[in-house]
Amino acid sequence: MNNPITWRSFLPSPASRPSFPVLFWAIAGYVCCQLIPTVGAESAYQEPDYSKLKPESGPITLEVWTWVVGLDKAARLFEQAYPDIKVHVNNVGGGPSEYQKVQTAIKAGSGGPDVAQIEYDFLPSFIATEGLTDLSKYGAADVKSFFVPWTWGQVSPDEKAVYGIPQDSGPMAFLYNKKIFDQYGLTVPTTWDEFAKQAEKLAQATGGKVKLVDFPPTHAPWFISLAWANGAELFKAQGDSWTQSLNSPACEKVLDFWADLIKKKYVATIPDFTAEFYNAVGSGQIAGSIEAAWGPGVLAASLNDKTSGEWQVAPLPQWSKDQPFRAGNWGGSCDVVLKQSKYPKAATLFCVWLNAAKGPVLSNWTSYGIFPASSSGLASPDLNQPDKNPSKFCGGQNVAQVYSDASKAVNVDFAWSPWFAFANDDYNKQIAALISGSVTAKQALDAWQEDSLKNAAADGYDVKGK
Amino acid sequence: MRRYRKTAFLFLTPFLAVFIAFYLAPVGYALYLSLFIRKRIGVGPPKEVFGGLANYIRAVQDTDFLNGLKNMFVFGVVQVPVMLGLAILLALLLQQSRGFFMKICRTAFFMPYGIPTAIGALVWGYLYSANLSPFNQILQAFHQGKIDFLSPAVVLFSIANIVTWTWTGYNMITLFAALQNIPSDLYEAARVDGAKTWDIVRRIQIPLLLPTLQILFIFSVIGTSQLFTEAFVLRPLGYLADNITPNLYLYLTAARDANYGYAGALAILLALLIFAISGPFLRRIASR
Repeated sequence: MNNPITWRSFLPSPASRPSFPVLFWAIAGYVCCQLIPTVGAESAYQEPDYSKLKPESGPITLEVWTWVVGLDKAARLFEQAYPDIKVHVNNVGGGPSEYQKVQTAIKAGSGGPDVAQIEYDFLPSFIATEGLTDLSKYGAADVKSFFVPWTWGQVSPDEKAVYGIPQDSGPMAFLYNKKIFDQYGLTVPTTWDEFAKQAEKLAQATGGKVKLVDFPPTHAPWFISLAWANGAELFKAQGDSWTQSLNSPACEKVLDFWADLIKKKYVATIPDFTAEFYNAVGSGQIAGSIEAAWGPGVLAASLNDKTSGEWQVAPLPQWSKDQPFRAGNWGGSCDVVLKQSKYPKAATLFCVWLNAAKGPVLSNWTSYGIFPASSSGLASPDLNQPDKNPSKFCGGQNVAQVYSDASKAVNVDFAWSPWFAFANDDYNKQIAALISGSVTAKQALDAWQEDSLKNAAADGYDVKGK
Repeated sequence: MRRYRKTAFLFLTPFLAVFIAFYLAPVGYALYLSLFIRKRIGVGPPKEVFGGLANYIRAVQDTDFLNGLKNMFVFGVVQVPVMLGLAILLALLLQQSRGFFMKICRTAFFMPYGIPTAIGALVWGYLYSANLSPFNQILQAFHQGKIDFLSPAVVLFSIANIVTWTWTGYNMITLFAALQNIPSDLYEAARVDGAKTWDIVRRIQIPLLLPTLQILFIFSVIGTSQLFTEAFVLRPLGYLADNITPNLYLYLTAARDANYGYAGALAILLALLIFAISGPFLRRIASR
């Protein structure tokens, strides 16, 4: 929380011993500020001091690659604030199709953008190419406190170099269709145990026609986010070597759970982001979805507001009621500056401004469902716009609040590896085998671990399984 | 003579410039890259060091790559004969018929070739999705089970179907043109000698189509080795193995894993293999 009145103002002057009333009011004041965070945050949307990030002089044009629809509108606002800098936004396709172009440009040494959007899980593979600028050289380390701690951990894995500015995040929650839940008398699960019971209940009530959720078989980061919420850590760099634990007990517990639901046909196994998936959700064949913060917005847009208002978001189910609440993250991305950029300072300024300034941060969420990585953005009550998606899709619910609570419960220490792009695709192979019934969850994870280790070792990484 | 040679080169320059810039130079660069391997010390970026044939040795031992080549052969053996057989059949049928209907058929068969491969594959992707597919809806109307066209066991045939759909019309038109070139007096002579339609097809048309068929066969084999777009477009819709085609495998090695040296070696090996297969055929055709 960004406290408007610093705690120092309540401290007694060193010369005098504090009298009781002073201490009382001091403590009372402090407690009040803690209790009403929204009031405090509203008047204190904190932004970095952009004047410390000096761009190069003269007219500058920045080339920006992204797949966020509407980023060009934010860029126009930036151009108004900094008339010497023109920003050319280029939507070159989402995720892998952009990465492959950026990767090629880095290899070629030219032809790349100044700024590119990269998801956290793919960032290490770009760091390994040495094609990214360490933004701490241009003052980026000073803006760390303006971002959610775990997102900063993602862009600065060694806590020294800063390879990107966090743009958005994807903490996980459970999105469910309230109409279907009411129709079949389902309760919103708070634990995975209850979740499995509801899945069974729904399958029996509908003769298997309606599934509780979909298990997306080709999106490793979805599964990883759930393992993340179960305390799993997949990759770790230690000194000169790496460890990889894709088949740890924490991962196995999660996949075992889902393998059981898949086997009993209580959940669907339709690839996400396909016409088939949206058709199944829109026609009521799927009653819920475990979605990242950006998920409800994508769903609302993809369903063209079909079933709009029928949905609700609940916190991610937990493994045990006694543990502190834990969530994972799926996706989320940062903006990096390529080494081949002629204007690294201006590019750094743009990245910081884009992701810390109130205007673009809030409009990204209410216009495109892109959930902020900025601390002030996350705490801002303006994030709740009941008449706009994704809140509108969820019947006006304060969706942002659920996800911002989830964001606070994401493990900071989770890290990725440069060969994740391979592991990401190899997961699909193992899950295809799991769904076909030819392997168990443990065998699938063991094979995933082994294939990925083999690939990393062939590429010269000193890596051990753990 | 020398003066003519100069003029010839002058006329060839536009072609040669493009050929060198966009064909020979990239091949040379791939060859150069393929001789380097990546050495890593610690977690930092790799050093590219000269590795001689290390990438090639790795490639011939890479079971994923070899299985990709196997997929390519299975595909070629099944798809190419089916496609060319269909093309011959359609060309002969078109040649027999006359009038407006024939023109419509000719255009309709040829049309898939005019659709960009990526668009065609996208449309087929919809037709292949398990629950939305009209094929499955027809099957279900007859109380048959669903086919998952994108499942590992079936997907190679699903891709073969797209390729056949795209290229049969193209091959048909080429064969149809070759049929038009057969002098009509041959037919007349055959008719006078009492030949039936089937005799004409078997004894005149097919033999005279053979040279064209050989060329089409070679082009199809080369096309098979370059299969990429269909698999690449279908990938987001389900699980398609990295090595479903060798070209996809080497693309992912370069663009995803950023291992350009190894990808270069794979590309060179694939090219050599295709040269080895198609070279003798082309020489035989050229020497005729």
